[in-house]
Amino acid sequence: MARSKRKHLAALLLICIALIPTSLRADDAGLVVSAEASHKFSKRLTAGFETEFRSRNNFRTAERVSLGPSISYKVLPWLKASVSYNMLIENNREDLSYQDDGVSYNNWRPSYWGLRHRFNVALTASYKIQRVEVSLRERWQYTYRPSKTIDNFDFDEGVWEDHEVRGKGKNVLRSRLQLEWDIPKCKFDPYASVEFHTTRELEKTRFIVGVNHSIKKKHDFKLYYRYQLTGSGDDPNIHMLGMGYTYKF
Amino acid sequence: MKKILRYSLLLTAFTLVMTSCEKDDTDMADIIAQYQIEPVSIELDNSQLNETADVPVTDENDSTYNDYVENTTWSKVINIYFQGGTAEVNGSVPGVMVQTSGAHVTVINMSGPVKFVVNGATTDGSLKFYGDKRFQLMLNEVSIANPGGAAINNQGSKSMYVVVADGTVNNLQDGSEYTMVDEEDQKAALFSEGQIIFSGKGVLSVTAVGRGGIRSDDYIRVRPGVKINVNSSALDGLRANDGIIIDGGVINIEVTGAGAKGVRSGGAMAVNGGRLVAIGHGDNRITTTDGVVDTATCAACYCDSLLTVNGGDMRLKTTGDGGKGLNAKQDVVFKGGSLQAVAIGAKKVKKPKGVKIDGNFSINGGYFYTYSRRSDPLDVSGVLNVASGYKTYDSSPKVLTIAY
Repeated sequence: MARSKRKHLAALLLICIALIPTSLRADDAGLVVSAEASHKFSKRLTAGFETEFRSRNNFRTAERVSLGPSISYKVLPWLKASVSYNMLIENNREDLSYQDDGVSYNNWRPSYWGLRHRFNVALTASYKIQRVEVSLRERWQYTYRPSKTIDNFDFDEGVWEDHEVRGKGKNVLRSRLQLEWDIPKCKFDPYASVEFHTTRELEKTRFIVGVNHSIKKKHDFKLYYRYQLTGSGDDPNIHMLGMGYTYKF
Repeated sequence: MKKILRYSLLLTAFTLVMTSCEKDDTDMADIIAQYQIEPVSIELDNSQLNETADVPVTDENDSTYNDYVENTTWSKVINIYFQGGTAEVNGSVPGVMVQTSGAHVTVINMSGPVKFVVNGATTDGSLKFYGDKRFQLMLNEVSIANPGGAAINNQGSKSMYVVVADGTVNNLQDGSEYTMVDEEDQKAALFSEGQIIFSGKGVLSVTAVGRGGIRSDDYIRVRPGVKINVNSSALDGLRANDGIIIDGGVINIEVTGAGAKGVRSGGAMAVNGGRLVAIGHGDNRITTTDGVVDTATCAACYCDSLLTVNGGDMRLKTTGDGGKGLNAKQDVVFKGGSLQAVAIGAKKVKKPKGVKIDGNFSINGGYFYTYSRRSDPLDVSGVLNVASGYKTYDSSPKVLTIAY
């Protein structure tokens, strides 16, 4: 029975991927790999430390390495509060700009590695309907980018010059709605979520389908597919394959 | 089975992470290399130019017959010697009256062709001609500076043959403020209402601080052998209303005034030989008249009419905002010789261009090179006609080279 459900689950994942329109498949693709260690200090308080790696450019280019601690606290049985910090070491995409004629080059800033600091504060409300847990997470995310001097090629002058990327902070509200199924006698729990990243406008929308797998309540694995729609900016839409591991002690 | 699955996932993740080491930048190396090209060096060049002397036209019906000083017999000669605050006049010709006021000399020529030989030096003098008779002005080691206007001013409309005596060095300089005379033009340190034909094998250096360097309200012809240097911090270096013909000689012009042109021809311009180096450093000259804003950009060479290049070596450079190496308002026909035009100025108000041609551009010979650091090296509004048979035709964002 369990084996049959696993087959159905795998088939569901494949169908989801197959249903993605061809035009979307032309978008970028990348990987998210994460590892976390967490400890439950009490029934309510949990602390952890996570590190993550991301790639883009059809898995060929490293995009980000991040690491940082997190603390979560169950305020109520159905409400969890959490705070976290992440140090992001990010490979910023190149930026090529054109003159007013739209053809002649103006400036080219190659990709560069830069540091960012991110702070998150979140509230997650959960509600179980039979075997489906519905959760809504509202996360305020503040990211600070310190200033950095990088290379920039000025086509007008025909010279490389120092360009200062000014330090700035950014606030984002992330709203995620998730459904997770608890299938009887199955160690794989499928889930699906949609998350909106909003500043003054909708910046990103993430659709995720995946499964969680737990071994002896100590080792949690997750495997998921994420499609990220970019509302604004130069970043392309991207398909992500995600893998995560959490060690609980 | 579960272990295999876990290890497979871990191995997949590890492999994908380890292979994510490629950059996703656009390959710009070759493109950037094209933008980093430096222009050829264009500087004033006083080196000796080996050129053959031209052969005077002997056909009296030829329109250029009278441009040759050799075709006139100069039997009437008057010598003018500048010495500080005075000028000494030797020789007399019936119909020619020479007046002096200090070192300011006025000649009224009602006679036929007369040759004036001038030498000496003055820092407060001038030489002015009246009369509608052509005359020869031989500069024989003379230095004239006029704080109040032009150093030499020909108010006659006939040809002024400026013969720079062999082996001599001559200097002319105007003043920063011109004292004007009613109904008389005075537009440059060396000014003539009529044609100016330069010949000889000496050096003439003109410094302009008030207005232009050399200017004719008719046309200017430069013949082989002569060396002309013009440095103007005010207006144009060498300018003629009705045309400029360069048959030879060495011409070095440097202008620094806003909107100034190194060489400016109101009529057809022809370059047949010699070496012309013109460098403009000025930015735009912006004027407002009755609410209408006019922006004049600097140009090393500016031609209002047809420009024909048959030979010679033209080296043109501008360093000011929006400057043009060559700015031709009508057609340009390039048949031979060499032209190198470089624009390295800023692009704030106007676009700097190596060569800008409002008409058509035809080339069928010679060597043509144009460079612009911040805009198009060649801008042709009309038809660009490059005849077949060229050896080189290289075009990049900043440089264009055509060679036959």
